[in-house]
Amino acid sequence: MHALIQGVILGVLTGGVYALMASGQTLIFGIMKVINLAQGAFVILAAYLAYQLFVSFGVDPFLSIPVTTVVMFGLGVGVQVLFLRPLRREDKAELSLLVTFAVALLVEGVLSVTWNTTHRSINTSYANDSISLWSFQITEVRLWAFLLSLAALGGLYLVLNRTRFGRAVRATVQNPDAALLLGVEAQRVSALGFGLGAATAAAAGSIYGLLYPFNAGSHYDLISRLLSIVVLGGMGSVGGAVIAAMIVSTSSAVVASTLSPVWSEMTFFVILLLVLLIRPQGIFGTAGRGAI
Amino acid sequence: MSFLRGGAFFAALVALPLFGFEHWVMNLLVFVLIAAVLASAWNLVGGFAGYPSLGHAAFFGIGAYTLGLICKGHEFASPYGPFFWLPVVGLVGALIGWPFAAVSMRTRADVFAIVTITLLFVAQTLAFNLRGITGGAQGLALPVARFPVETFEWPYYYVLVILLALAMGLTFLTMRSKVGLALVAVRADEDKARGIGVPVTGVKVLAFAVSVGLTAMVGGVWAYYQSFIYPQFAVDPLITIAMVLMTFLGGRATLWGPIIGAFILETGQQYLAYTLGGSRFYLIAYALVFLLIMLVLPRGIVPSLVRRRSA
Amino acid sequence: MALRNRLRRAAPIGAVALLLAVPVGACSSQSNQGTSKSGPLVIGASISLTGDFADPGKAVKAGYDLWASTVNAKGGILGRPVQFKIVDDTSSPDQVVTNYQNLINKDKVDLVVGPFSTLLTIPASQVAKRYGYAFLEPAGGGPKVFDQKLDNLFFVQPAPVVKQGDVFADWVLSLPADQRPKTAAYTELDDPFATPIAENLRSRFEAAGIKTVYKQVYPAETQDYSPIMAKVVAVKPDMLVGGTQSEDAYGQVKSLVQLKFSPPFMFLSNGANSPVEFPDKVGAGNTTGIMSSGDWFPGSTAAGSADFAAAYIKAHGGTADSIDNSSAEAYAVGQVIEAVAKKTGKIDNATIISTLHQGSWPTVLGDLSWDANGAPTGSFHLVQWQNGKLVPVFPAATAAGNKPLFPKPNWGSG
Repeated sequence: MHALIQGVILGVLTGGVYALMASGQTLIFGIMKVINLAQGAFVILAAYLAYQLFVSFGVDPFLSIPVTTVVMFGLGVGVQVLFLRPLRREDKAELSLLVTFAVALLVEGVLSVTWNTTHRSINTSYANDSISLWSFQITEVRLWAFLLSLAALGGLYLVLNRTRFGRAVRATVQNPDAALLLGVEAQRVSALGFGLGAATAAAAGSIYGLLYPFNAGSHYDLISRLLSIVVLGGMGSVGGAVIAAMIVSTSSAVVASTLSPVWSEMTFFVILLLVLLIRPQGIFGTAGRGAI
Repeated sequence: MSFLRGGAFFAALVALPLFGFEHWVMNLLVFVLIAAVLASAWNLVGGFAGYPSLGHAAFFGIGAYTLGLICKGHEFASPYGPFFWLPVVGLVGALIGWPFAAVSMRTRADVFAIVTITLLFVAQTLAFNLRGITGGAQGLALPVARFPVETFEWPYYYVLVILLALAMGLTFLTMRSKVGLALVAVRADEDKARGIGVPVTGVKVLAFAVSVGLTAMVGGVWAYYQSFIYPQFAVDPLITIAMVLMTFLGGRATLWGPIIGAFILETGQQYLAYTLGGSRFYLIAYALVFLLIMLVLPRGIVPSLVRRRSA
Repeated sequence: MALRNRLRRAAPIGAVALLLAVPVGACSSQSNQGTSKSGPLVIGASISLTGDFADPGKAVKAGYDLWASTVNAKGGILGRPVQFKIVDDTSSPDQVVTNYQNLINKDKVDLVVGPFSTLLTIPASQVAKRYGYAFLEPAGGGPKVFDQKLDNLFFVQPAPVVKQGDVFADWVLSLPADQRPKTAAYTELDDPFATPIAENLRSRFEAAGIKTVYKQVYPAETQDYSPIMAKVVAVKPDMLVGGTQSEDAYGQVKSLVQLKFSPPFMFLSNGANSPVEFPDKVGAGNTTGIMSSGDWFPGSTAAGSADFAAAYIKAHGGTADSIDNSSAEAYAVGQVIEAVAKKTGKIDNATIISTLHQGSWPTVLGDLSWDANGAPTGSFHLVQWQNGKLVPVFPAATAAGNKPLFPKPNWGSG
């Protein structure tokens, strides 16, 4: 029982981080109908940036988030403009997937050249501190990470619902043709939207770097988890992604705590398969056009 | 016409070892042929059906381990023995692929890609964790082939030539048959195809099963050539990346495209890694080539060389 | 129309032309070095300079290069300067096979030495065997390497990987019965190195009556060690035996610190023997008392060790504490080659193969000897963190006066 609750705690705390990462991914899909296979690589890149800022200037990774957010936003816009926009209409569906995959490889290559393949982690002074609650241990870092993820998600919500840009984004997600007719500039929304998705990776990257050792190749594991979460939540739904992240993360941690860490990796695949069999559009996806 | 071209090509392939090339050349050719068959097999699903499978490497691994297990349970009198079990390996791959495709191809192409990526990681996890069967991280040993040293690579080479002929033959048949037409329809507009009565799911699943069956057979040959396999190399995302890139480079949904892509990329990659060695830039180069092809030559080499007849 | 048909025909012909161009081009560029009995002694090696094994791979290269410059300063081998031909296998078994094929059959090097890691050593050693080359290798010591029963293979470390932990068991079981741990937990990375070490220890300890209260094998992708370590903490073992590599070793220690549990006896097969990385990753104050095993350590009195350390520092800076074991192992490979030449006056593959199966060969790792399958028959040293340094503590003969510290002090105490 103790192990179960400890697992749930761990799962919930980690779920926040995955929710943040997945929200960016699902947002990009919603706007552009592009599955960004480079999202994992963006997170790792942001983790490296936070790591370098910490090692060279002593900046705490939580505090470097504003800086990395701006950098990642710019990168996202750049990727969209350089590599995705030039794709011809008829190729778009097939090729955008592979283009983002190539971008992921490119990022991985640059990262391994710049920082070599040693695993890194951001070891702040409080990295090993934990709070004892009854008999359960809650790692400080995870707690802060969870709170920060909530804050970032809240920020995303505000952008989407309270800004003009956010309204344009939501309009494009719901009905691109109508949005165009109403004067929304599709190209601009796509570019900025992609940038926004990449920007969520910035905060996620700082957190990831604090929690786990990472190197250039870590994005593969990450992207497959993110993809399962996004499909479960319903492609294009940010709220769905958040809930799905909590479900997947918690189940995974519980399986690791109670059964065996060996099979916890499989949890998200089992969940994915179940989703595809029972409800292919995910929790919040809409059946029919636009989603699956 | 095309029979002549195909015949000349395969005659050249068959005759090649008789020219007495060095071992390292034969070794290179074995790897190139592996790449060519893989790319050609992937083309059936990714090119013709338009479903980009990013998890084919899982079936490569399944083939490798299947042959490994067969060899474990069976004492072969002749080193040629394992080759005769390749059709069984292919069947196993196809039988596993069939239900997987039936479930995952109910969705659209891009979600399909996600599911295949996930399958890849699951396959790798299973390969690591089903220790009793696969040997887990300790790896699985296959019997060391007792072929004469002088012509060691030849049996593998010829088996791969046969597999290539099979792959290209199937591709050719697909292009000229009702199944091929159905796949074209699926690729163009799946909803409409379904609407006019094309057996959309059946055709997709068939293409997938055949494709992964071939992939599994190549995996088996590879395992026997290496004589020792580890989970992270038998089920490796880089294998899928290579297959996809080669097909794109050469031209999707063409007969010769994947072959040309494979010859260019595999030779280039092994040669570069050996001569330039130590340069970390090779992943960046790979990615840039990938991007360049998709932006500049989205149709690939073969169709760009030949002005396309209007469909 | 005509142009199109011509272009159509070009495609397969182009493919055949490409097929022929490669070998023809290659035939004419054959280098003829290495077959003569004079001229440089060319030693080929495929090392992981990129990919997953890149970091230890570079340490191996550093070791080989260091040995080459050291031996060349003394006049080379049998009067011939040593020249390494090093190629990158990108940590891939396909590439490593191709590389040794090329080194042996295309470049016709005189000798070859091994790559990094058991994973790459196994396919590479098959290629070497086929063409009659000796295969001294510094980094492939998993059990399957020796299961191949190759007579040309020699693993240049004191003992096969499985036995790496034996020295810890030797020490624990040498303690009086009332001071020994009564219970033990085993956390093992699923990997050809780590699991065999821990399992070997477990069978020895169980035979001696130390109860196993928890055992868990975890996959390489594990990122969160908290669930596993929480279960360890729940049973409060006297001894924790970790079959680890590096990342997981750090992860386990960090988890234990966070869970506030410090076992009185703690052994990590790898990771904890990393002089610079370990304190950096887990916190310098958390290292004291943790034990591991190693084959080379600064201050070792093994043959050539002082020269090796001095040369390394001269070439790369730093201190003796920052020298990676992989470099010492690669250096030892060179020393063995040197010793064979000195003893027999010859340095061809057949001589190496026939000579190394008997006798004891001095290297920076101690005196090495091999059985018929290439498995070395010695043992490792037990090392322990004391006062922020990694020191040998057992067996006493090579411990340079240090004594094992037990029980392990709590976290953060030094």
